[in-house]
Amino acid sequence: MSEDLIIGIAGSGGDGVISAGESLITAAALEGYHCVMTKSFGSQIRGGEASCRLRLATRPVLNPNGPLDVAVALNWEDFRRFGSELPVEAATIVIYESNTGVAPGQLPLPGVKPAVVFSVPITAMAAEHAGTDKAKNIVIAGLLAGWFGIGRESMLAGIRKKFAKKGATVVEGNVRAFQAGLDFTVANPLKEDRKLSAPKSGGQTKLLTDGNDMCAAAAIFAGCTFFGGYPITPSTEIMQFLDREIWKYGGTVLQAEDEIAGIGAVVGASFAGKKAMTATSGPGMSLKTEMLGLASLAELPLVCVNVQRGGPSTGMPTKAEQSDLFQAAFSAHGDCLRPVLAPTSVADIFGVTVEAFNLAEYYQTPVIVLSDQEIAQRKETVDPIDTSKFQIIERRRPTGQELTNYSRFKLTESGISPISHPGMVGGNYLAAGIEHNEQGRPTASGEMHARMNEKRFSKFNPLKNRRDLFTIEGDPDAPIGMVSWGSVAGVAQEALRLAQAEGLQVKLLVPRLLYPVAETVYQDFFASVQRGLFIEQSYQAQLYRIVRMHVDLPAQVKSFAKSGSNPILPSEVLDRLREMVVSIQGNQQPQPEAVEN
Amino acid sequence: MPTLEAPAKPISLTKFMAGDFKSDLKPIWCPGCGDFGVVTAITRALANIARPPHEIAFVSGIGCSSRIPGYTTAYGFNTVHGRSLPIAQGIKLANPELLVLVASGDGDGFSIGGGHVAHAVRRNIDITYIVMDNQIYGLTKGQLSPTSTRGRKTVTSSFGSLEDPVNPLLYVMGYGASYVAQGTPADMVGLAKIIEEGIRFPGFAFINVQSPCVTYGQEDQQLKAHKTNMQSLESIGHDPSDRAKATELARAYGTKLYTGVLYRNPNPPSTYGQGVTERQEALQKSAVPRHEMLNRFKPTN
Repeated sequence: MSEDLIIGIAGSGGDGVISAGESLITAAALEGYHCVMTKSFGSQIRGGEASCRLRLATRPVLNPNGPLDVAVALNWEDFRRFGSELPVEAATIVIYESNTGVAPGQLPLPGVKPAVVFSVPITAMAAEHAGTDKAKNIVIAGLLAGWFGIGRESMLAGIRKKFAKKGATVVEGNVRAFQAGLDFTVANPLKEDRKLSAPKSGGQTKLLTDGNDMCAAAAIFAGCTFFGGYPITPSTEIMQFLDREIWKYGGTVLQAEDEIAGIGAVVGASFAGKKAMTATSGPGMSLKTEMLGLASLAELPLVCVNVQRGGPSTGMPTKAEQSDLFQAAFSAHGDCLRPVLAPTSVADIFGVTVEAFNLAEYYQTPVIVLSDQEIAQRKETVDPIDTSKFQIIERRRPTGQELTNYSRFKLTESGISPISHPGMVGGNYLAAGIEHNEQGRPTASGEMHARMNEKRFSKFNPLKNRRDLFTIEGDPDAPIGMVSWGSVAGVAQEALRLAQAEGLQVKLLVPRLLYPVAETVYQDFFASVQRGLFIEQSYQAQLYRIVRMHVDLPAQVKSFAKSGSNPILPSEVLDRLREMVVSIQGNQQPQPEAVEN
Repeated sequence: MPTLEAPAKPISLTKFMAGDFKSDLKPIWCPGCGDFGVVTAITRALANIARPPHEIAFVSGIGCSSRIPGYTTAYGFNTVHGRSLPIAQGIKLANPELLVLVASGDGDGFSIGGGHVAHAVRRNIDITYIVMDNQIYGLTKGQLSPTSTRGRKTVTSSFGSLEDPVNPLLYVMGYGASYVAQGTPADMVGLAKIIEEGIRFPGFAFINVQSPCVTYGQEDQQLKAHKTNMQSLESIGHDPSDRAKATELARAYGTKLYTGVLYRNPNPPSTYGQGVTERQEALQKSAVPRHEMLNRFKPTN
């Protein structure tokens, strides 16, 4: 039996690789398994190679993990293009298309000799039973359902529904193709039973979606009624979702002529009193910078989602990286502070997006949500979310009294001033990118500029005490501490579990608030720590460096960082944790390998 | 009427005077600047429109002209260089009840912000775009602008400009603008009239104002010269519904100062905002409560 199965499927575009993965994950989600599915493509717009990785487990899964338990290759050229995204080991069960002409003992996988290999005439079976080789994905679904015990009934129901419109002949053909896959597994059983055990949660049906759709749904839940943006991979699905939905809530989506106009319209909508959002990826963020500065100075709320991809410049549009943190924290000229939040998973992006709107409205500021390509585009099962637990915060409107002699930028104790909007009698003021006095009138007074800077910075002080924007797992007194953020936090969480299973004393800090740096949270976390490790996906180790700017971390806190698109595996992190234990025991210096840069 | 989320003061004024729209902020412009006349013309037009100042959003970018919103009592937004149009469109889409005006200059509107003009025109959101065209960068003290003539010597074209100027009238006509007019503070009555008409026009309205720079402008671009040279389109019998003729007259930009309405679409196309409202009304019924948004993610096979 299996508790955790990682399946990788690769082929050419049109082979139905993604569709096979979708049927499997839907069936597994309906049965209550915990699942994560990532998709990967060549850069071609159509055709080219396509792959998906599914992780199906009886317990919550936090990342797609590394080596495959099961590899499915429709052709070897395409499979091999994915390299380290689909790693095959000796223990991997390999299933491949017979018509590739490759002998089972001679797989084109250098240095690996998988013990269990099935050559299956997938295309021939599809043609024979469904009358078309388009049914290859259905045969694959049948094979995987048979060998690994995933959602047979549910997949059959899915096939009937999917092809219903095409008539009974097509439906029955596809049902036969699925059955042929099942029959093949009966005739060729695995020596060792690898069927998935029953899910631990008792089969409770989960939600199934990806990070971009979840982010967009959270925006609507938070009361967003305006979205302005420009298409850019891998964030576009946020705009697409809102374009299908936001009108129903009296809202508008504007696909602008460029990234600047997209966020410009958002600034305008916010000035007009609406909750507004934009979404983009790195190159778009570079263009949006001037508007972020304007919104900071004019103290206008807005949410800007950056679905990070590899950079700089066009970089790697379809691959995840965590290299936009410096930009999120520091871009825009002048003294400028804006909150930066990061979700760790599809489930997490719901709360983080709602929080982003709350912070934006409360502090009257742009807020950046740093998602990444992995979270944005992976499908994940999510336990039902009780939305009644989320508070929705509105911006501080002026009272009737305050409107009688209105000061838009009134210097208050909290630094937060009542904000009016056009249409409100008595609230008329001049918003501007130019420095202003309390009434919003332009000023070149150094004294006023200093006071306004103080207001715009000090208003964020309470934010640094928001410990609920951090999670700490593991032994609170552990001598080893990890910090990780975004999608990589799931890797660190799994490493923590593996370490705990070995009896290692380790803890993990995961910030959702990346900036401003909550100094005391890090100081308290590292108080017990003798060896520490920041784990993140960027060449520069950007969170590590930003925290170091603000907090005197112990000398033995190091970084483990990799450039984007190079998977960080729980096993690699575990190796480093073991080295740290040895280092503490021997009171030696940590192994130099623990620091990549 | 816009939704008022704070207690409303009773509005005692039912009639407005131009002075009701002028703020007490002292303009930074040079004495004799054409923009003084433009702000007067705008406030006169607003008095005739008779919407109270709190229902008006007046947006601008950067430049001498972009100071205008602060000199009015409307809700103003003096944004960043070249970006007034995207921000104004966001305001109008977020609250269609507002009267939205945009002030810009030749540099703000046709150089750094030039890319936005085409899209504002074709999107046809109901806003009024007033460009104060003085063929020079005044605020930064006399550099070449996109409407400066070829050969013009400025501090950044010491030996003369090597490029042809933009023709703002032809530019917006080319993208299908439905209301195109030109005026000068040398004819205050005419200027206030085309601004008022532009505001009343249902859709994107473009008004090019030849607004002289007294400090860096040329002799033949001053109000005195305008008074002699300007020719009203009405006086030559131009029919503003004649698009072909309007395009032909637009070509005279730079050589002839026509004033008045160059083109007014006799059958104004529906605006972007109308489309938005219709869509919102049609789809409203299918909204699930916001707190049930996540139910859509329940898997179905």
